[in-house]
Amino acid sequence: MVVAAIKNGIAILVLLVLQLELFSSLRFFGVMPELLLAAAIAAGWYGGPIGGAVVGFSSGLFYDLYLATPLGLNALTYAIVGYLLGQIATFLSDEAEWIIRITISVVAVTIGLLLFVTFGELIAEPNLYNRSFGKILVVASLYTGLLMVPIHYMMAWAFDATRLFSSGFDRRLR
Amino acid sequence: MAVPRRYSGSRFTLAILVLTSVTLISLDARGYAPVDNLKKAGIIIVQPFRSLTRTVFDPVGDAWESLTNGDELERENALLRTQLDELLDYRIANEGAVNDLAALRTQLDLQGLGGHDTVVAEVTAGSVSNFDPYVLEINKGTQSGIREGMPVISTGGLIGRIENPGLRDSRVRLVTDPTVNIGVLAIGTKEIGILTGNGVDQPMRVVDGIPISAAVEVGSILVTSGLDRSPYPEGFAVGSVVEVIPDEVNLEKELLVEPTGEMNNLDFVTVILYQPPGMD
Repeated sequence: MVVAAIKNGIAILVLLVLQLELFSSLRFFGVMPELLLAAAIAAGWYGGPIGGAVVGFSSGLFYDLYLATPLGLNALTYAIVGYLLGQIATFLSDEAEWIIRITISVVAVTIGLLLFVTFGELIAEPNLYNRSFGKILVVASLYTGLLMVPIHYMMAWAFDATRLFSSGFDRRLR
Repeated sequence: MAVPRRYSGSRFTLAILVLTSVTLISLDARGYAPVDNLKKAGIIIVQPFRSLTRTVFDPVGDAWESLTNGDELERENALLRTQLDELLDYRIANEGAVNDLAALRTQLDLQGLGGHDTVVAEVTAGSVSNFDPYVLEINKGTQSGIREGMPVISTGGLIGRIENPGLRDSRVRLVTDPTVNIGVLAIGTKEIGILTGNGVDQPMRVVDGIPISAAVEVGSILVTSGLDRSPYPEGFAVGSVVEVIPDEVNLEKELLVEPTGEMNNLDFVTVILYQPPGMD
């Protein structure tokens, strides 16, 4: 439990620093990937609903520190997305091909961004729904999808995915 | 075949996390000080890791920018050459404008940059969000005397104001943000209007306040008015008018304004240590 928490902490920190220092510069059409949302999604896959929700909340909270939006907005969104992915992954075959995993992850990123903007609009947060929204949705989802494989590996390592085999939730990487 | 596993207590965990998030959002939106301190503490903890990786990733970011913006740079270069030719012609016709500005400053008792203490800060990052491209991060904070709302200038004029300053870093909210409004005065006239941001790479706008008869034309310079409770000191250039749209119904002019302050590829900015009266 403690080891898993430390590993997840390291994974979140690495992804946070990459998001802030590297990918904020490496933009396609002015859009960057959503690495921390991807971490929540992959955590749902390997850690189940609880792991997804907790990692999503933590990664979103760390990301919130650097944004002008209220603290907790990303945490709320990522926790829900991580939880949902955890629920969905429970019902998917362990033999699911990578292409399926990535497709589901890309759709989850899109849903996450939609949720984030919806929650933001509900609390009258400015700038979230703007004229670039459609572009952000498409490019960010695809760009994040390109980076999903290493993030899946990272979160599988963080959750020690093989450990879940005995409990009937084998999400080992192939 | 996978056997779906029930995660007992997962809904309870989610409910707790959602409740915590909503509480944090609510407290932060109300400006609850401990939440603000929590944010600052979190940033300080992560800062060493950011600084370490910045030295590694900065060259990567620069290389990426030169790769992806290569065509744009060529276009910009050509555009700048054209503009330079136009400006050389324009300068001959408008040499008197500089003298006019100086005279107006004296007449209105406007303070120059020298009238305020300043802090030069390095730009450490641009926006780190897909949804809020109107911010910069700088490496100076409250330790250097920077406070919330202080104006920030670069070459050419005002570019934004300080938002959420930390001990050793701050965020700059750029004037192009559609939520930013600035009281401006058109140089050479007494016309005052409200300048509003209009998004990245879009001209800012003055929609109300300029009568159709006012002598505000393309090329007019707008400076901060410094009136009433304006958070900006008076007399700092904000933008130049690039298009005038007459509104015959309301007998007003709508102005489209290009910022005069350089906002792209910035390395350093200057923070004016100014707080409006009553905010000290």
